This record gives sequence, structure tokens and C-alpha cells, in this order.
Amino acid sequence: MSSSDNGLNPTLRLQGVGKWFGSLQVLEEIDIDVKTQEILTVLGPSGCGKTTLLRIVNGLILCERGEVSFKGEVVDGPRPEMAMVFQNFGLFPWKRLDQNIGYALRIQGKDKNEIDRLVSHYTELVGLGGFEANYPSQLSGGMQQRAGLARALAAQPDVLLMDEPFGALDALTRETLQEELLRINEAEPKAMIFITHSIDEALLLGDRVLVMTPRPGRIRFQFETGFGRGRDLEALRGGKRFQALRHYLWEAMRNPDEEPEPIPELNLE
Amino acid sequence: MATDAPTATGVSTAEKTAWERIKEPAVYVRLISLVVVIGGWELMGQTGNIDPVTFSYPSAICVAFWDLIASGKMTAAAYESSQILVAGLLIAIPLGIVLGILMGRFRTFEYAVDTYVFALYATPVVALAFPIAMVLGVDFVGKTTIVVFFAIMPIIVNVYHGVRNVDLSLLEVTRSFCSTESQRWRDLIFPSVVPYLVAGLGLACGRALVGMVVAEFLMSISGLGALSQDYIADLELDKGLAPVVLLMIVGIALTKVVNICETKFSSWRVRQES
Ligand SMILES: Nc1ncnc2c1ncn2[C@@H]1O[C@H](COP(=O)(O)OP(=O)(O)OP(=O)(O)O)[C@@H](O)[C@H]1O
Ligand SMILES: [Mg+2]
Repeated sequence: MSSSDNGLNPTLRLQGVGKWFGSLQVLEEIDIDVKTQEILTVLGPSGCGKTTLLRIVNGLILCERGEVSFKGEVVDGPRPEMAMVFQNFGLFPWKRLDQNIGYALRIQGKDKNEIDRLVSHYTELVGLGGFEANYPSQLSGGMQQRAGLARALAAQPDVLLMDEPFGALDALTRETLQEELLRINEAEPKAMIFITHSIDEALLLGDRVLVMTPRPGRIRFQFETGFGRGRDLEALRGGKRFQALRHYLWEAMRNPDEEPEPIPELNLE
Repeated sequence: MATDAPTATGVSTAEKTAWERIKEPAVYVRLISLVVVIGGWELMGQTGNIDPVTFSYPSAICVAFWDLIASGKMTAAAYESSQILVAGLLIAIPLGIVLGILMGRFRTFEYAVDTYVFALYATPVVALAFPIAMVLGVDFVGKTTIVVFFAIMPIIVNVYHGVRNVDLSLLEVTRSFCSTESQRWRDLIFPSVVPYLVAGLGLACGRALVGMVVAEFLMSISGLGALSQDYIADLELDKGLAPVVLLMIVGIALTKVVNICETKFSSWRVRQES
């Protein structure tokens, strides 16, 4: 990262991205900029193309229209600066938890001590300490999901792509990890795209919230939450702006066909 | 496994006591069945309901078995047979794995050979004994080739399916983290092939035994096949069946070995198993 980088330059840029699976158009005209230290949360109904969007950003599949660029370079395949947290966890059933969490590090050819150190750090961080020797089939769904998160965090990427990473977690673990994620985002600046079905989560974590419409997936609207760095989640929840935005998003999600009454003081784009 | 002690999800792997195992229906139903069948057969033999010329009974076969071992005939025959069995398996296993992997991984190779492989898979290999004898002779090479043909098919086909059925979402994980091709084989493809391979090896061992006896019957007569045939021709059925008993034992032992390998390689499937 260059020293002049204040965390505001776009790291990731999607321009006019369109994607078809056969004759089915899944994404249309997607333009997104994600700044170096920005968290973009994405909301949208099931099947609107959120996972597809992340796979395109990650370079796992190519788009037929438009392009994705990372720090000015066109993304035409996966690169080690990005890490994905998969919706279906994507753990290797024959690897123990610690081997799964250290997977990306081993692929990158890090030396063993470094791997051990990072693995135990991130294993503790997601609250899986003590389960290192377990195979995924011996872990609950929520634990597997946290393992997938730890694996991506341990890779220490510049871009973190998260596909409903907290979907299988109980409320308490979820809150802990939300705070952890914000802390990590400040400590090791990263651009994050975070897909979620929870309006609260989208607002709590997002610097910007993007809402998609289905068939084909398009950007319906996006806005800055304006909550700033170092936000206190507890205080945020009770705040007026949070409540207003929450209500706005509820209305929008409930009526997919009409935009809700704009709220002038929110300065929504 | 030494590492599975300290966890909270702890899958209980408590060993069953011998007594608990005896109480399981599987065990005593099998025992009763064995006693009824073997005992009934023995009873018919003892009471003279079986003509010893056309058939024999368990205790007579046991006695013949020990006689043949004591005279050294059984061991000599078994040694002869085991040579073609072992040679056949030593060729069939690595060759089958390599062919299966190549077929599963490289489309061009698959299209080039799949017709032959699946045709051979569907052909009764016995039918190949004669052409093989014509080309390779009726001795060691010809016989080993028959064993190879018998054993290799399930290995090729299983390994091929193993490579083909690699979990696509895990393949995507390896791509996402920028794995190299050789790392991908290590982390994903080999581990997903192992269960298929082990199943294939189980079938291959059974079929190799069949191939061995077929080769010994149909080509230059030798080994356990010859021993059995000679005595049956002399109407000494108890001695003729003794080598068959040995083959059964070897067959069961090979299956057991394969099963042990299977559990060893799939310790990660703990929950499904318990
Ligand atoms: N490989 C594929 N081939 C064909 N169609 C696909 C493929 N992957 C996704 N689709 C289709 O694309 C659409 C979007 O799928 P995607 O998985 O991106 O949705 P999503 O927004 O992530 O949904 P969810 O919230 O349920 O995870 C769906 O209609 C799906 O059927
Ligand atoms: Mg999805």
C-alpha cells in the first residue's frame, strides 16, 4: 500500500459487470467501487446473484460484460491478495480444524512457525480454541462457519469477500464476531464485501450498504451509513440515524417494486 | 488416534466390551447360522447321507487340510500360486491407479481409452484366457496377465470415478486460495480418491484370487488349482476341497486387510461411522 493511501482510494472497481449462465442473465450493469479500508455490505433477496458477484470479484468465474479491477489491474483469475469466506464453508473434511485454518498459509508457502502462530491466533479469535484436532464433521455448523472465517482472516488479505459469514451463528457469537471484524478492519486495513440477509448487520458493519434486485441482479440503491470508524455497536443500535435507516431498509425490502419514501436528512444517494 | 482426547464435542469412541459384542444380534445370528449349516453338513456326512466319492463333509476336509500341510504339498502349491497372485496385484494396483487418474483428469486420454476400458469391464475376463495364452504363453507371464486383467478393472473404474466426483465447491476453494496444481492433488484430489480406491482394492483382491485359480485351471496347471483338481480327479474329495478352504481363508484375510486400510485412511469420517 502506498503511503499516500488514506483508505479512501478504490481498491476494487467493478464497471458495467454483466453475467449470464447460459441464457439466464444473473447480473446486469453492476458498478461498484470499494475503497481500501471500506466495508461494503450487500443485501438482496435469495437468488439475486450475490454469490455470483463475489465469485466474479474473486476471479473464480469471468463476466461476459464489463470488468473487475483490483488496484488498477484487471482481475482475470484468483489472486492471493483476496480471500473468500464461502457460504457453504468449503472446509476439507479430511483436514483437522487447524489444518483447515492454516490452509491458505500453507498454499502461500509460509514457514511452519509463522503458520502455527497465525493459526492459533485466528483460532482463538473466532472462539474455536481447543478444537484444533477436530475434523469438520465433528463441529457444529456455526463452528464450521467460524473456521471458514478464520481461514480467510489468517491469509491476511487486502480484500475480504464474505458470503453470509455469520448466517449460521447464534446471536451472541454473531455480535462478538461483528465487533471483532470491525476491530480487524481498523487494525489491518482491508476492503471488505460482506453479504448478509440481516438488515441490522448490514447497517452495523457497513460503511456503505448496497441493495440488489433479482432477475437479473441489479443495484437497486446504495448509501453511506456515515457511522464512521471506531463505532460503538451498542450506542449505534439505539441511535436515531440507525433506527431511521433500519426502517428505510425494512420498507425497501418489504416492497421490492416501489422505493420507500426518501428521508431527506439521511442524504441517501 | 492420540489427538482426539481433549475436545468438547468429543465423539464417544468408547470400545465395546467383549460381552457387549457377543450380545449383538449380528454376532449370535451368525454363530447360530454357522453351527446349523456346518453342523448339519457334518451330521449328514457322519450318518452316511453323503457319498464320500461325490461329496465330503467338514471334519474330513479338516483332516485332509492338516495332512496336506504336514506333507508339505499345500505349502508348495500355495507358494507357487502366490507368485502369480502377488505379481499380478503388484502390476494391477499401480497401473490401475495411474490409468484411473489419467482417465479421470485428462479428457483426451479418457476419450482415447474409455471404449476399451468399459468394454473390458463388461467382458467376462475368463473369455480372454485363450487369446492371452496364445500370445503370452501358458506359464508365469500368461497366468500373471490373467490375474492383472481380473484385478485391474475395478481399480481403474473406481479411481476414475473418484477423480471425477471431486467436490466442485472444494475445487473452487483451492482455486480461490491460488493453489498450484500439485498442491491441489495433495489437498483435494488424492484424499477424495482414497475411499473409492479402497473399495476398488477390495474388489480387486477378490477378483485376483478368481483370476489366479482360473489361470491355474485353464493354462499350464499349477499351484493350488492343480492340487485341488488332481485330488478331485482321483475322487479324493476331502483333499480336493482343502485348497478351496485355503483360498477362502486368503480371500477373507485380504478383505480384512483392505478394511483395516480403509479405517486408517478415513479417521476423519468419525461422526458418520458412530
Ligand atoms: N453455476 C451456475 N449455473 C447456472 N446457474 C447458476 C449458477 N450459479 C448460480 N446460478 C443462478 O444464478 C442465480 C444467482 O445465484 P447466486 O448463488 O449468486 O444467488 P445468491 O444471491 O447468492 O442467493 P442466496 O442468497 O440464496 O445465496 C440463481 O438463479 C442461480 O440459480
Ligand atoms: Mg449466495
